[in-house]
Amino acid sequence: MGALGHFLEREGIPTTGISLVREHTEIVRPPRALWVTFELGRPLGRPDDPAFQDRVVRAALGLLERTDGPLIEDYPDEVDEPADFSGWACPINLAPAQTDSLAAEIERLAVWYDRAVAMRGRTTVGVSGLDMPEAGALVSRALSESLPPAQTLKEAIDDLRAYYLEAASAFPDPGSPATRKRWFWDETRLAEALLALQPSLAASEDPQHRILGNLTLIPATERHRLRRR
Amino acid sequence: MVKRLDDMPEGEAAHLRRIECPTYGDTPLLPGVALAQRRVALISTAGLHRRGDRPFRPGDGSYRVIPGDTAAGDLVMSHISVNFDRTGFQQDLNVVFPIDRLHELEADGTIGSLASLHYSFIGAFPPAAAEPHAQHLAGLLKADKVDAALLVPF
Repeated sequence: MGALGHFLEREGIPTTGISLVREHTEIVRPPRALWVTFELGRPLGRPDDPAFQDRVVRAALGLLERTDGPLIEDYPDEVDEPADFSGWACPINLAPAQTDSLAAEIERLAVWYDRAVAMRGRTTVGVSGLDMPEAGALVSRALSESLPPAQTLKEAIDDLRAYYLEAASAFPDPGSPATRKRWFWDETRLAEALLALQPSLAASEDPQHRILGNLTLIPATERHRLRRR
Repeated sequence: MVKRLDDMPEGEAAHLRRIECPTYGDTPLLPGVALAQRRVALISTAGLHRRGDRPFRPGDGSYRVIPGDTAAGDLVMSHISVNFDRTGFQQDLNVVFPIDRLHELEADGTIGSLASLHYSFIGAFPPAAAEPHAQHLAGLLKADKVDAALLVPF
């Protein structure tokens, strides 16, 4: 991100930006950066909180007046973590023992996904162009037959992940994003399939498969699950 | 809350420490007119694009164009990294791409105007792959009379 500040400012476009990783910004030294302590993936801090987001945007834009950089300004406000990590149980039983296949799991989630879309008026599923049963079938074939092209598989998996997490957000007791992600990795057949798929991707002769297997399939925070298998 | 890399879960911090950051000898800083007279473009590195646009791929330094009137429901994300939270984006586009906030700032006169087009890259680009695209983008921004770019990471 910081590199873009250099590239654009050098070409005559004044820039300001948000920094999520101060250590990186200190090395790249872009023209102007507002360092925030928010979670990666949430640069404006809090979803559905326009007032909070407005303050962050104003603070970042306010740096445009300064030419005494490269500068990093520390944003004062923080986001409190929700304190509901324990005591949350998935309100509908989706544990692997209760569904006999990935296809059944995907089908069972459809009603909750539809509810989530109705609540929010939008979905972020739709990168792959596949419907979810097709995407699930692609993952199943990758496990039982041969690996499809890495990009096709990646797009299908990203759509499925969005579908699962959007569906879970509409459960009667949806918990927090952290508990829903834990549900995904602890309890779903899809996560089990991704963990099972990783070794064959990592061992593939296709470098794109290896990138997927080693870097862009399992989040860094969940890779310990591979060692336990 | 994340303070510094040392405060993050170890798996995540180790991944971020391994990322090689480019260094630059000097940093250009351009002066400009008051914010209330500037035309602002939003540039994200969250790998956002319209549904149906070409998804991002590993090593991709190119950008996608997001017209200012794109409905939130038309935007999807194909960032290659899985190490960033996406549930915030699923809940509210503006936590990643604060387009509604910028429209409000345009309406209340805080900024002069909002660009007609906005852009997204993936943050995991190798800088050398993105540089020619960024140079081209600078020309497009100038043609749109943009004199302020808000860079939002992911």
